[in-house]
Amino acid sequence: MRKLLNSVSLLSVLIGAPIATMSAAHAEDRLEALTKSEDNWVMQGKNYSANHYSTLTQVNAENVKNLKVAWSFSTGLLSGHEGAPLVVDGKMYVHTSFPNNTFALDLSDPTRILWQHKPKQNAAARAVACCDIVNRGLAYWSGDGKTPSLIIKTLLDGNVVALNAETGAEYWKVENSDFKVGSTLTVAPHVYKDIVLIGSSGAELGVRGYMTAYDVRTGEQKWRAYATGPDSDVLIGDDFNKANPHYGQKGLGTSTWEGDAWKIGGGTNWGWFAYDPGTNLVYYGSGNPAPWNETMRPGDNKWTMTIWGRDLDTGAAKFGYQKTPHDEWDYAGINFMMLSEQKDKDGKERKLLTHPDRNGIIYTLDRTDGTLVSADKIDDTVNVFKKVDLKTGSPVRDPEYGTRMDHLAKDVCPSAMGYHNQGLDSYDPNKELFFLGVNHICMDWEPFMLPYRAGQFFVGATLNMYPGPKGDRQKGEGLGQIKAYNAITGKFKWEKMERFAVWGGTAATAGNVVFYGTLDGFIKARHSDTGELLWKFKLPSGVIGHPIVYKHKGVEYVAIMYGVGGWPGVGLVFDLQDPTAGLGAVGAFKQLANYTQMGGGVMVFSLDGKGPYDDLSLGEYKTN
Amino acid sequence: MTAAPEEVNMLRVIPSSLASGVVALALFSAIDAQAASLGVSDHAATSADQTLAAASAADPNALRICAARNQPPLSLEDGSGLENRISVALADAMKRRTQFVWSERPAIYLVRDYLDKKLCDVIVGLDTGDPRVATSKPYYRTGYVFVSRADRELDVKSWSDARLKRLGHIVVAFGSPGELLLKDMGQYEDNMAYLYSLVNFRSARNQYTQIDPGRMVDEVASGAADIAVGFAPDVARYVKASATPLRMTLIEDDAVKSNGEKVPQRFDQSVAVRRDDKALLMEIDAALATARPKIEEILKGEGVPLLPPAQ
Repeated sequence: MRKLLNSVSLLSVLIGAPIATMSAAHAEDRLEALTKSEDNWVMQGKNYSANHYSTLTQVNAENVKNLKVAWSFSTGLLSGHEGAPLVVDGKMYVHTSFPNNTFALDLSDPTRILWQHKPKQNAAARAVACCDIVNRGLAYWSGDGKTPSLIIKTLLDGNVVALNAETGAEYWKVENSDFKVGSTLTVAPHVYKDIVLIGSSGAELGVRGYMTAYDVRTGEQKWRAYATGPDSDVLIGDDFNKANPHYGQKGLGTSTWEGDAWKIGGGTNWGWFAYDPGTNLVYYGSGNPAPWNETMRPGDNKWTMTIWGRDLDTGAAKFGYQKTPHDEWDYAGINFMMLSEQKDKDGKERKLLTHPDRNGIIYTLDRTDGTLVSADKIDDTVNVFKKVDLKTGSPVRDPEYGTRMDHLAKDVCPSAMGYHNQGLDSYDPNKELFFLGVNHICMDWEPFMLPYRAGQFFVGATLNMYPGPKGDRQKGEGLGQIKAYNAITGKFKWEKMERFAVWGGTAATAGNVVFYGTLDGFIKARHSDTGELLWKFKLPSGVIGHPIVYKHKGVEYVAIMYGVGGWPGVGLVFDLQDPTAGLGAVGAFKQLANYTQMGGGVMVFSLDGKGPYDDLSLGEYKTN
Repeated sequence: MTAAPEEVNMLRVIPSSLASGVVALALFSAIDAQAASLGVSDHAATSADQTLAAASAADPNALRICAARNQPPLSLEDGSGLENRISVALADAMKRRTQFVWSERPAIYLVRDYLDKKLCDVIVGLDTGDPRVATSKPYYRTGYVFVSRADRELDVKSWSDARLKRLGHIVVAFGSPGELLLKDMGQYEDNMAYLYSLVNFRSARNQYTQIDPGRMVDEVASGAADIAVGFAPDVARYVKASATPLRMTLIEDDAVKSNGEKVPQRFDQSVAVRRDDKALLMEIDAALATARPKIEEILKGEGVPLLPPAQ
C-alpha cells in the first residue's frame, strides 16, 4: 500500500474515475490556455512545445541595460538549485534542493510567504543521489470543478506529491521510486492535459529506467514504460519505427544485451520533455546504460540513449531513435526536447523536434515519425564522432576517442558531462534560432585494473576533465559557451565563450534578448541576433537553473534561481579536493570556488527595478 | 609478541587522491598545480619524509610492512588485524623490529602505491604466484566459504548446489569470484541493488568500494541475506563472534561457469616482496618455517579453516 499513502488519494481513485473523462477536455484546455498568457510561466518549458520563449517586448535589446532588482527571496538552502520557479495566476511557486521544500509567494506582495510545504523525507536518500541533491522544479495543473489546482513535485526519496496550489495541503502522494534500491527523483514532473509524467534517476547504480504516467487528479498510475527489457515492458507500439525500420523494431530491449543484463541496464530519464497535442506524442530522452564499463555490457544496449515519441494516453512508443548505441562515455541523453515548425532544406513545412545531446550532437527529427532531419556537432571540437550518417542514423566513431579498457583516451571531446547537459534552452520561432548553453569540457579517460587476492579485482577508470580546445587549460577556465543555432542550415549565427559551463539554460524573448545564468553567478542578457552582451548582474550564488520571463500588472519581470551546485558544483558543495572526484568535475571546476559560494534563492528583475515595493507602505507594519 | 609494532606516521598526511593524482600528473600538466597545492609529489611524500623513509630502509633491524590502516579484519591500525599479527610473528622470527607503513586506502592499492614505490618492503597476505611481486612459499591455504544461519538447513557446500538459485539475497564481495558466478547463474541482477545498498550506493569508478566483511556476516545473522560468500580470512572472525549461531562451510573447489571455465575457490597465501628483492625473500622463507607454529595458532584462533598448501 505504499503507492497511495493518504486516504484522500484512495478516495479520489474510487470516485474520481467516472467523471474524469468529462472534465478532462475542460482541464486540458485550461492548462494549455494558461501557457498562452505571458502573465504565466506555468511549466518548466513554458509551454507544451517547451520553446522557453516569451513574446514580451517591454524589456528589449535597447533598454535591457536598465534592468534592476525588483525583489528577491531566499530558499534558505544550500546545494544546487536547478530548474526555475513557476508563475501562475499572480503567484510564484518556488522549489528547493533536498529536502524539497516549496514556497508560494504573492507577486503583488511577496512580503509574506503565502504557504510553505516542508516534506519529511528519509535523509538517507541524500547518500544515493549521484551529483548533489538537486531538484529540477515543480509542475502545475489548473484544476477543474472537482479537483483543485495542484502543484506537483518530486521528492529525492522517490515520492511524488500533489499539493493544493491554493493552500499547500498535500492532496495525493505516490511512491514512484525506491531510493533503497538506488532510485531517486530529481526530475521535474511534466503535466500534459490531465496526465503527470515522472522520470527516474540512478542509472549509475543499475536502475532500469522508466517513465510513469499518473492521473493528475488522483495519482493513480496510468502506464509505465521501461527503457530496457521485453517489448511489453518498453511499451513498443504496433507501428513502432514503421517509418524508420533501420532504427530497430521488435525485441531489441533484450536481444541487444547479454543475458539478463537489461535488468540492471540503466536508461533512466531525468531531463526535460515536450508534448505535441497534434500527434498526441510525448517526447523525452532515456539516459546512459549501466554499468559504466562498456566491456561488461556488449551490444547496442537498447533502448538506452534514445529519443522517444510515445502516445501520451497509452505510453505506446511510436518511434525510438537510439543516438549513442553502446555508450562508452556516459552520454546520458536526457537533454531537453524542443518542438518547432520550420521549413526543411527542401522548403517543406515540417513538425520538428530538436534535442542537443550530451554526446555533442544536436539532433533534429521529424516528430511525427522520428525521421532524422539533421544531426550537427554542437561545436566543431567534438571528436568522438566524425559525423552522424543521416541515412542509417548511426554515429561514425573515431576509435582514438573511445574508452575501451586497454586504451588511455586523451582529449576526448565532449567529456562525460557532455557538451550539453541538463540545461533547458530556448527557441525563437521568428528568428528560427535555438539559444544553447553549452559545456566546453573535454577529458582524459584512463582505465585501470587492480588485482587483489583470492581472485578478486577492481576495474576502474580515472577521469580528468578540463576546458575544451577553445578554453584556457592553464587557467582552467573557458569551460562553456553560449551559441545561436539554426537547425535547418546547421549553422551557428553566433557563439561566445564563457568562463564556466552554461549549465542551466536560456530564455529568449521577442525583445531580441537571450537571458541565462552562469556558474560564477551572473545573470546575463545578450542580443539574440548578434550575441552582444547587453546587461549583467552578479547574483548571490552561481546559477545552474534557467531564467523565466513574465508580466504582472503591466510590468515585465525576469526571474532566475541562484544556488551553485549540481554536478559542476560537486567539488564546491562537498569541499572535495581530488581532481578526479565527481568523475573529474572537481578538477574541471576547480576555479569555481574562487568566484562564488553556496546559497539558494530567487531574484526578480524589471526595468529600473519597478515592482511591488515602489509602494513604500507595502509590507510595512501597521498599527491599528 | 616480543617486539611491539611501531607505527610510522609519515604517510598519514597523504590524501587518498594520491594514486589518481599521480596518474593525472603524467597525463595533463594543468593538474600539476592542483597536485602541488595538495602537497602531493609523484613520490608520494615530502622530501623530509623521503629522508625518513630512506633512513628506515637503511635500518636492517626493521621490517617495513605495507599495511592498510582500515581493512578489517585483516589489517587494523591498532595492530589487531589478522595479518598484522602474522606480520609480527614473521618479524620476530626474522629477529627484526615490525614497522608498519600504514596506507589510508584499502589493501588492494598496496602493491601499486606502496610496495612498488618502495615506501615499504613486505606485504603479508597475497596469492602465491601473484605476478606483480615475488612471493614466499605459501604459509597457509584456505578458500571461500558459505555463511548461513545455523538454524537454517542451508548446508550448501558447492556452487553447483541448486538451492542457490532459489535463495533471496546472496551477499558477495564486488569483483570476487562469487560475483562472477552469480552473474553466470543469472542471480546477480536481482541482487545488485541490495549489494549496493550495503555500501550506501557508493559507486565511484575511480575509487575501490567494498562491502565490509563484518556487514556481510551481520546480514546473514539478521536474516536480511540468506547466505554470504566470503574469503575465509575476511569473515571467520565475525562468524566466530556472531551472537546468532552461524554455519561456515568451505566451498568445494568445483565451481565452473556455464561455459565450462573453472572458477577457483581455494588459494595459497604468501608473503610478498618486490620482484628483485631476492635476499629479503630468502630471509622471509627461512623465517616462515620457524614461525609456522605461531602463524597456525593465530589462524586457528581466528577460526580460519586451513588446508594443506598446494605448492
